[in-house]
Amino acid sequence: MLVPVFTLKLSHKINPRMVAIGHYDGKHPCLTCATTAGKVFIHNPHSRGTRGGRMEASMDSDLNLLNINQAVSCVTAGQMNPETKNDVLLVGTQTNVLAYDVENNSDLFYKDTPDGANAVVVGNLGSIENPVAIIGGNCSLQGYDLEGTDTYWTVTGDNVCSLCLVDFNGDNQNELVVGSEDFDIRVFREDEIISEMTETEAITSLCGMQDSRFGYALANGTVGVYDKSSRYWRIKSKNHAISIHAYDLDSDGVSELITGWSNGKIDARSDRSGEVIFKDNFAQAVAGIVEGDYRMDGTDLLICCSVDGEVRGYQPAGQEMKGNLMDTNVEQETIRELSQRKQNLLLELKNYEENQKAANMDRPSGLGELDQQQMGIIPANTQLQTTLNVNMGSESQRPHVELFIATTNETIIQAVLIFAEGIFDGESHVVHPPTATLSSSVRVPIVPPKDVPVDLHIKAFVGNKNSSQFHVFELTRQLPRFSMYSLADPKAEIPLPKSNVTLTLNERINRVVMWVNQTFLLHEDIVSEGPLNLTFLSLRGSGPLCFSMEQSGQMTIRTDDMDLAGDVIQALATFLNIEDLQSIAEFPEDMETLRQVLVKVDEFHSVRQKLTAEMADHSNLIRSLVVRAEDARLMSNMKHMRQGYMELYNLNRDLINGYKIRCNNHDELLRCLKSVNQAIQRAGRLRIGKYKTQVINSCRTAMRSNNVSLLFKIMKTGSS
Amino acid sequence: MDPLFLAYSYFRRRKYEQCVELCSQLLDKNPYDQAAWSLKTRALTEQVYIDEVDVDEEGIAELIMDDNSIAQVARPGTSLKVPGTGQGAPSQGVRPMSQSGRPLTGFVRPGTQSTRPGTMEQAIRTPRTAHTARPVTSASGRYVRLGTASMLSSPDGPFINLARLNMPKYSARPNLAKSLFEYIFHHENDVRNALDLASGATEACQFQDWWWKVQLGKCYYRLGMYRDAEKQFKSALKQQDMVDTYLYLCKVYVRLDQPLTAVEVYKQGLQRFIGEASLLTGIARVYEGMNDMSNTVQFYKDVLHQDNMSIEAIACIGTHYFYTDQPEIALKFYRRLLQMGVYNTELFNNLGLCCFYAQQYDMTLTCFERALSLASDDNMSDVWYNIGHVALGIGDLTLAYQSFRLALASNNDHAEAYNNLGVLEMKKGRLEMSRAFFQAAFNLAPHMYEPHYNFASMSDKVGDLQSSFNAARRASDAFSDHMDSKQLLSSLRKHFAML
Repeated sequence: MLVPVFTLKLSHKINPRMVAIGHYDGKHPCLTCATTAGKVFIHNPHSRGTRGGRMEASMDSDLNLLNINQAVSCVTAGQMNPETKNDVLLVGTQTNVLAYDVENNSDLFYKDTPDGANAVVVGNLGSIENPVAIIGGNCSLQGYDLEGTDTYWTVTGDNVCSLCLVDFNGDNQNELVVGSEDFDIRVFREDEIISEMTETEAITSLCGMQDSRFGYALANGTVGVYDKSSRYWRIKSKNHAISIHAYDLDSDGVSELITGWSNGKIDARSDRSGEVIFKDNFAQAVAGIVEGDYRMDGTDLLICCSVDGEVRGYQPAGQEMKGNLMDTNVEQETIRELSQRKQNLLLELKNYEENQKAANMDRPSGLGELDQQQMGIIPANTQLQTTLNVNMGSESQRPHVELFIATTNETIIQAVLIFAEGIFDGESHVVHPPTATLSSSVRVPIVPPKDVPVDLHIKAFVGNKNSSQFHVFELTRQLPRFSMYSLADPKAEIPLPKSNVTLTLNERINRVVMWVNQTFLLHEDIVSEGPLNLTFLSLRGSGPLCFSMEQSGQMTIRTDDMDLAGDVIQALATFLNIEDLQSIAEFPEDMETLRQVLVKVDEFHSVRQKLTAEMADHSNLIRSLVVRAEDARLMSNMKHMRQGYMELYNLNRDLINGYKIRCNNHDELLRCLKSVNQAIQRAGRLRIGKYKTQVINSCRTAMRSNNVSLLFKIMKTGSS
Repeated sequence: MDPLFLAYSYFRRRKYEQCVELCSQLLDKNPYDQAAWSLKTRALTEQVYIDEVDVDEEGIAELIMDDNSIAQVARPGTSLKVPGTGQGAPSQGVRPMSQSGRPLTGFVRPGTQSTRPGTMEQAIRTPRTAHTARPVTSASGRYVRLGTASMLSSPDGPFINLARLNMPKYSARPNLAKSLFEYIFHHENDVRNALDLASGATEACQFQDWWWKVQLGKCYYRLGMYRDAEKQFKSALKQQDMVDTYLYLCKVYVRLDQPLTAVEVYKQGLQRFIGEASLLTGIARVYEGMNDMSNTVQFYKDVLHQDNMSIEAIACIGTHYFYTDQPEIALKFYRRLLQMGVYNTELFNNLGLCCFYAQQYDMTLTCFERALSLASDDNMSDVWYNIGHVALGIGDLTLAYQSFRLALASNNDHAEAYNNLGVLEMKKGRLEMSRAFFQAAFNLAPHMYEPHYNFASMSDKVGDLQSSFNAARRASDAFSDHMDSKQLLSSLRKHFAML
């Protein structure tokens, strides 16, 4: 049994996920956590007694509080200066980020981050020479070096929730893994996306493990491990994983995934199987897990903190523990497991015996129809057929993709269990028709929220009408990427979308047709000779989607939905193995919206400045009123004091009202900035490879120089 | 002569009153005369202009409700709030401390008397003595009293009615905007409107004019938005290297309580402006604030290399030598000051003390006589106190007694004089009297350890052990390394333990 080597009670609350450890003087690790009221505390038990002079008066503990004056949104510490060993503390809030040299009490840089700072990570990225601090905000990723110059910038699909640096493709350079609110994990090699994985919820934490392996945690309580872009394992709990960390707890040379849960549980899971090898409990939710040599004896300890300030340190288990960290007895555990299995087997055996008995029952006519039904025997040639269809919907039902499941004979389907990620709430869907309407076929409506290919794992319970035992049919069907689009009748008059993307492919039309057949749900495969002309209708109501392709390879995609156009181009490029692709985009409506948003952003900025100045003025006034009122109190001039405090009260109310206005203004501003970032991201998705990076970077430059017309030109043509 | 030309001439000759009058006449004739209007604003501004860089005192409110500094308890030697243990400085027993726990400086400027009081009560009570005055906030403080005309009433209403000013219109006109800004900022002291104008103007010139950025930074600084100020100054420095901008930026860092960053920025400035005396002085001041005397003196010496007329540097180095037991060298520095034409009470007072300690007794009393003849009510008491001190040194107790009495006559809050009187009374054996003097002294100046210790040792002698213990504790709070207090405390502890 592994017990903590030390336990501390810090009398401060710790904000979840805002725990870091830093060697601010280059030697001693200090636990650093964000706490309430916009403060960060640093726990430094090592330099006790080195202070002198007047410091002694305030030495109530080893804690040092830092004022940030704003709600802290992320904290980390890391080496940014390659010349010294001192770590830099990085604190992000919703409006800015501060790099602070704790040892010297001086700022390294203080930057405004209009996109907010939801996550921050420090380290080497790609071929960028010096370590960078990467800040993930609303749809944007920003990297600063030691001087505070931004050396890295790119956009991503949605608000960033978590970041980590992992050598994803084994090229000895770190890639940036980004988890965002749109359920995607994206991997950036500098500013190019090299991989994208879709999960089922917002990704709240990421942590690098060994080599290309990394752990992740979702908002719905899922924890798992990826190796490159394939998932090793995952488990789901009803609690939420607050923090994950890779640490070799059983000293076998391979890091385990340590997870801290919202109910205070800590567990360590083997990175290959997800099997729990150790667990412990805190009284409160876990706030963060870090590792550091906190006792200064040369071994890195695992340090876990709970939200009410309890800190425990665990030492890796020695060889004599043989990886057995739980306090339960191995023999007992094994016996329990074996008897469980015996129980199951006995139950199964009993079933078979029952069947056997019925079959051997002495009856001249052999096995009766009725008995067969009772026993749940179905014809041996029963097959389960599934088809996927596009259903255009009716008055009462929205358009959807229909999964039709039927048996080949009159056996009925009792229930269908479909397991698929990201389509249903909570991943699985059970259809259990009422007994009266049981039939040999079931229709399941599916509305995938996003255009991604999904594997549907279907389990159907097939049996006779009144049998109590059923056969389970298992099969897997793939839902193609663009299943929510139906082929329109070529004769029907459909108004063409105003917007389009034009690109040139060095491919034959046949290949594109092949792609269309694969990724769309079609009744029958399209065969096309000569120029291609196809129109699809979106079941989500975002208008028609038209493809046309000339023999010369020039392709035009017409749709009003810029996201969709991006998805189509990305999917097409993956299919055709295109590395770089430039395109001309014509989205008048999106551009107009963007223009309006940019105007709004300007307005919000100027209003904000005014409000801020007013607020600062007021707060100065409030301070002087406090002093005056206190002055009156000390002089026992109660009348004046009362007057002073009354004034203070009124002014304070004004200030609070002003604050509310400012808050609203800020929220609006954030929304606008987010939509600008998303627009840039969409424009990037219309291109592939280096052209994509080029678009995003030149958009950034245009935004910086406030050159709106240039921005539009870049979005349209892909270069400045 | 063309009246406008004449007005310009007045302006250049710094005859602002006449210039304003002439411009007013011009404007009466033609209210749309931009040249006259602009000149009038400039003249009005010049009348009340003060140097923003130097005049800066933190108000009580900023001190007490300080939420700008990041670290609440920083490592010693990295913060202005908690002065370090004092590197290269003589101990408190030799060089007296101000209330903030800093040694007395050789040159009084805004901020050197700065106290970092522990509680609001202390903060409010301290300036109640007649000789220190601290504004309630810096926004309402000295700027209103010194640097602005906003408190003056003009006969026919203000020259420009800010409430009715169309800011966007003016901010788009670079020729008018700058003088108007200075008028609003310095003359009207209306920082919010000034900020409005400046932000409009910097936008109108496409964020290309560093001047506007500096002004924006100044506005933010006054409003207490130090982070925004920092941003503006940095951005201005990127466009144009200016000594002023460096100085402002460092002021921001000092306010953020990051002295080491400030020194770093000063040094960056020095790389661009090699040997710039104002930057060197800035570094010296920061080190002085941190109690780092060896660096302070080093940088003041560097200042003197560049500018051998710098009064501040000479005075500070002089003081340093005086307190490090080299009065002869200090005397040289003070004589240099005298050569340069500084002719006031304080200097003669210091010269007198230096002469005394350098054993040039013939000069001592002459200097003090000079000092007395120049003294005003403000500093008379200090001179008498020093004379008393000298009298104590030569053993003339009667003269000393009389001098201290005279010091109290001109300033009855003079805590040091009370303390010394107490000692004299104790020598005479009038214990009740001396007890009263000590109490008066430590009530007036709780930061001085001497009256506490004196009171403690006296109480110890008469057998009032409890008050002795309390006073000794206060003494060692004020000066933690004071051996006598410690010994007294430990013997009292032993005594109490025996009981």
